Amino acid sequence: MASDGRVTRFNAAERIVHWVVALAFGYAALTGLALWSPRLFWLAAVFGGGTTARAWHPWGGVVFTAALAVMFLKWARAMRIDADDRTWLARAHRYAVHDHAGLPEPGRFNAGQKALFWLQSAAAALLLASGVVLWLPESMPRALREASILIHPLAAVASIGGIILHVYMGTAAVPKALRGMIQGWVTPRWAALHHPKWYREIRK
Amino acid sequence: MSQDLQAVSATPGGAAGSDVDTTSLAKLIDTSTCIGCKACEAACQEWNDHPVTLAPFDGTYQSQPDLSHSFWNLIKFNETEIDGAPAWLMSKYQCMHCIDPGCLRSCPAPGAIVQHANGIVDFVPEQCIGCGYCMTGCPFDVPKFDPYTKKVYKCTLCTDRVSVGLEPACIKACPTSCLTFGARDELIQIAEERAETLREDGFQAAGVYNPAGVGGTQVLYVLRHADQPEAYGLPADPQIPWTVTLWKGPLKWLGNLVFVGGVLGAFLHYVRYGPQAEEAPEDARDGE
Ligand code: HEM
Ligand code: SF4
Ligand code: SF4
Repeated sequence: MASDGRVTRFNAAERIVHWVVALAFGYAALTGLALWSPRLFWLAAVFGGGTTARAWHPWGGVVFTAALAVMFLKWARAMRIDADDRTWLARAHRYAVHDHAGLPEPGRFNAGQKALFWLQSAAAALLLASGVVLWLPESMPRALREASILIHPLAAVASIGGIILHVYMGTAAVPKALRGMIQGWVTPRWAALHHPKWYREIRK
Repeated sequence: MSQDLQAVSATPGGAAGSDVDTTSLAKLIDTSTCIGCKACEAACQEWNDHPVTLAPFDGTYQSQPDLSHSFWNLIKFNETEIDGAPAWLMSKYQCMHCIDPGCLRSCPAPGAIVQHANGIVDFVPEQCIGCGYCMTGCPFDVPKFDPYTKKVYKCTLCTDRVSVGLEPACIKACPTSCLTFGARDELIQIAEERAETLREDGFQAAGVYNPAGVGGTQVLYVLRHADQPEAYGLPADPQIPWTVTLWKGPLKWLGNLVFVGGVLGAFLHYVRYGPQAEEAPEDARDGE
């Protein structure tokens, strides 16, 4: 912990990986959504036209999964869900209305963040596997194509849904959380409120 | 785009097969009179300005193993056995111009696949983004990807000829009575009569191929062995894949609910409950 009243929340490597994941995800999600519905096809125009969006979307997806793999190696251990987390998740509806009484104290990540991490990891694995099939349809067997055309958007819906919640939490719902991911530090009292168990550990 | 369209890909309201005119056009292929001359193949290549495509000889009379992006009309030479006797079943293979086309349902690019009022299903390369979804949506494996232009192509039923009152090139070239072009309901009647004649001649299983799973097709076949369409290389019960139907139907609703509900829910949550506290109170800091 720094002496100037700043607690290091995420180091530079973690922040860079996080934002590479985020940018690539945003690109893949928006170019993908262009094909999701005719009402969103205008998104293709924003990204250089339908043909360009089609050609580059898979590369956005590949960057996303590669960066997520790095993030996975960095965080998988810290993201393990324990008994406290299960209690937390069972009371998440209380957390949502700011009633934190009886919630187990979160460590570096709370149970909601952990759940998101596992949701995104599973979705990314599915997106990559089905995405590669959709990428090269002319050389893929029909059974794989028929499965992927359903699995890919299904996994996309799950991960985009998760990210909508994640962005809301990280920007509006939890003030100053974003600074932890951009500048990398939070105040001691921020840490004490949102991640008390982690704060006690790093204060030792 | 002209207005003689009844369905347009990826366009709200352009429901495939919604308003089909039963006097729409059709092509009838009477396989019992096909002599395997491949005049239709040559005429198709020539009319569409496709290059001469040579395939290595693989022991059959078939000129190509499969359709390709620049080979839209293939006579299949099916050497098989029927009721213990060898059978050599020639059948013309091309886009079926389905009444409910799976290719059009799958396509995400507005206007890349259209169904004309006369029923012809046509691809519009200018609008095609090359995703290949149509290749999965088509139950007949007809659309083929061109690795050079990165777009997908198939038989147009010579819409360019038909729209100026000519018959398709394959029909024009056929030297027997195998291929006929005309109003679909009349051709269905002619096909049924021909099947009846074949049954009288001893081919008890003779019948018409007009699969209901895709709402019927505008390419109709008379088969001597209509109980075994697979022997001709035709699927017995072609359907738009169920994953495609689920993807373009319920999944879209679920996804839209998640996207709109997520954004709206987050907004309403903020309005109702506001943000969390920013920091712990001073005394909870436990000194430093
Ligand atoms: C992991 C590597 C990925 C690969 C190889 C990949 C590949 C593809 C391909 C080839 C398509 C077909 C059309 C196109 O290229 O735009 C597609 C569609 C799509 N992708 Fe991806 N993708 C990947 C990751 C992602 C990610 C991270 C998202 C965002 C959540 C995503 C969301 C979508 C969506 C929404 C569609 C349209 C589905 C529909 O038409 O209903 N993809 N993807
Ligand atoms: S490859 Fe072209 S025609 Fe086929 S579904 Fe995609 S955009 Fe439509
Ligand atoms: S045969 Fe295939 S390509 Fe032709 S109209 Fe039917 S679904 Fe479309």
